[in-house]
Amino acid sequence: MIASIAMLFALVPCGWVALTSTVPKRVVALEMTGIICTLELMLLTMAFNRMPMMDLAVALALLSFAAGMVFAHFLAREL
Amino acid sequence: MKTIAIEALVYGAVLIALLSSWLMLRMKDEYQMMHFMSPPASFSVVLITIAIFLQQGRKPESFKALFVVGVLILMNSIVTHATARAFRIREIKNWKPLEGEEVPLKHSDEPIIPGESGGD
Repeated sequence: MIASIAMLFALVPCGWVALTSTVPKRVVALEMTGIICTLELMLLTMAFNRMPMMDLAVALALLSFAAGMVFAHFLAREL
Repeated sequence: MKTIAIEALVYGAVLIALLSSWLMLRMKDEYQMMHFMSPPASFSVVLITIAIFLQQGRKPESFKALFVVGVLILMNSIVTHATARAFRIREIKNWKPLEGEEVPLKHSDEPIIPGESGGD
């Protein structure tokens, strides 16, 4: 549980970059956030010992990939 | 002993993710920042999955964690490449080398002559 709380602090720089930087840096921060949230869900699954919650991590990993590809597509065309 | 191993793996994963995330702030541009997506997507997720296998054994949920490892490792590289290419297209309207720009080549590659590349 402590590890999952500590992992939340990894989201702070991503949030900072997403709020203050340029558009490309925001996209990188968003992709980083997707990875960290996936790890966070895996840690919470372990912490609560409710293994069916692992489906959320699987779904988020797949959706953050799709989101990254969509952002990359539109970024190339001047977002 | 098993509990200590699980905790060590989990804290190692968290440390890698925290370091990558905070060091990302020190980088000067988005290309450098993208390099810091790789350690959490490859090392941290592997460490957490090993911890899950140690904690839960060979249950279906442990194999879901293994699937997440595959997804993150494979797709992170694809997304990173696609995003870097999108940044370059956004900057110079074309991803191919500019005139006079040095491009590292392998012996097996066809030589790239700057200025003669088509704009697609």
